[in-house]
Amino acid sequence: MIDIEDELLKWRFRRGSREALARIYEKYVHLLLSVAMGLLNDPRDAEDVVQDAFVSFARNATGFGIRGNLKAFLAICVANRARDRLRSEHSHKRCVDRYVPESSDAGEADQSLVYNERCERLNQALAELPYEQREVVVLKVKQEMTLRQIARLQGVSIGTVHGRYRYGMEKLRALLNGDMEP
Amino acid sequence: MNDNEKLRQILTKDLDVRASDGAYDRMLHAVLEEHESTRRTQSAKTLTIAGRFVMKKPMIRFAIAAVIVAAVILGLLEFIGTGSKSAVVWAEVAQKVNASRGVIFRMTEHIVPDTYEQGVDFTVNHWSSTQSRLDGYKGDKIIKTIWTNCNTKTGTLVDHYHKSYVKMTFEKTMPDRFGMADPNSMIQRFLSCQHKELGPKTIAGVLCEGMETTDPAFYGGGNPPEPPMARVWVSVETGYPVQFEGERVYDEAHHTLVQDQFQWDTKLDASLFEPNIPAGYIDISP
Repeated sequence: MIDIEDELLKWRFRRGSREALARIYEKYVHLLLSVAMGLLNDPRDAEDVVQDAFVSFARNATGFGIRGNLKAFLAICVANRARDRLRSEHSHKRCVDRYVPESSDAGEADQSLVYNERCERLNQALAELPYEQREVVVLKVKQEMTLRQIARLQGVSIGTVHGRYRYGMEKLRALLNGDMEP
Repeated sequence: MNDNEKLRQILTKDLDVRASDGAYDRMLHAVLEEHESTRRTQSAKTLTIAGRFVMKKPMIRFAIAAVIVAAVILGLLEFIGTGSKSAVVWAEVAQKVNASRGVIFRMTEHIVPDTYEQGVDFTVNHWSSTQSRLDGYKGDKIIKTIWTNCNTKTGTLVDHYHKSYVKMTFEKTMPDRFGMADPNSMIQRFLSCQHKELGPKTIAGVLCEGMETTDPAFYGGGNPPEPPMARVWVSVETGYPVQFEGERVYDEAHHTLVQDQFQWDTKLDASLFEPNIPAGYIDISP
């Protein structure tokens, strides 16, 4: 479904409107932070990838390429960056894991983002899922992307995405063990 | 309600992360700074090249005249092959394009992978210096139309698919005339970037000469993962662009864009730019 306000915001943004960019930020920053936290379970990384996605978006104001759904476009920007972040962190972690103690200054970053205990529990459970499943669950449920859109993002078939969604939801349900009610 | 539906509701409601006031402002500041910086860079480039044209124009004329006079005097005209020199004077193309009363063109974009869907197949665009109209087609049907008016600082978007429309008033910072996004500034943008001239090529039966740039500045700078490409083909006969081609990678997707079927210096009827909202459409303006 076309969000008509988004269509107009895209159009104004491509003509250099600062106010349109500010409105896009205002409209989507919290949603994108939720997505980023669901994917990364790290407040500092989540803030970084969302800021990076918006900065890149701002830099490309006069270029082409924001076709279709703005909400999905921004979510894909965040998902791509989150995946890159995890890849680089994994390779970095492999190198330094044995030598660097766990960071103890997480409190400062925690204060940048605000979320309650239920959210923290969900993020911890999501972090237990394989990344591909986590990505499908978060993008489909929180971001309301279609399986087809996610399949294109992940470069796999819709059937594979459907399977990842099903297994992801099952495992998440098992991890939460029924103690969370809507 | 089944278990999956319950879990969906929990995720939708409780997976809710918000930026603190400090983080919100800090990120917004960084985003707007980047936007401002990009705009400043592009404006400076445009102004620089505009000034360069003014300075160069007499020089170009003088140089051409001098060459012709010298050739005649020395009896060397017969040795000047038609293929050895560009028949297109790019600075004059830029002037012609800028002076065009109105232009109509088709624009087609492709994104691979096309994750975003819901886009139009192509748009038909009408531009004057201060007004524009864009009709977005899906198949043979218009699914949306956007009008903009720099004089009144207003815009109207009609969504034919959902039979609704939005009217908006632009902020004071919007320009009085169209800037970087419009085709009139295209040649200036090419000339303001690192570029190379291409040889002759026939497009849709028209003999053209081209110019190509892979300078990231053409699309606003940054550090793209692959060099972007933009190419314009100009009719040797009329001196107007016939086709524009663009390619770049943005957020792991490959974007291509073609603008063609140009009709330059067209007197566009004022009625084209008057928003036409069919009866029964719902106003969903914010």
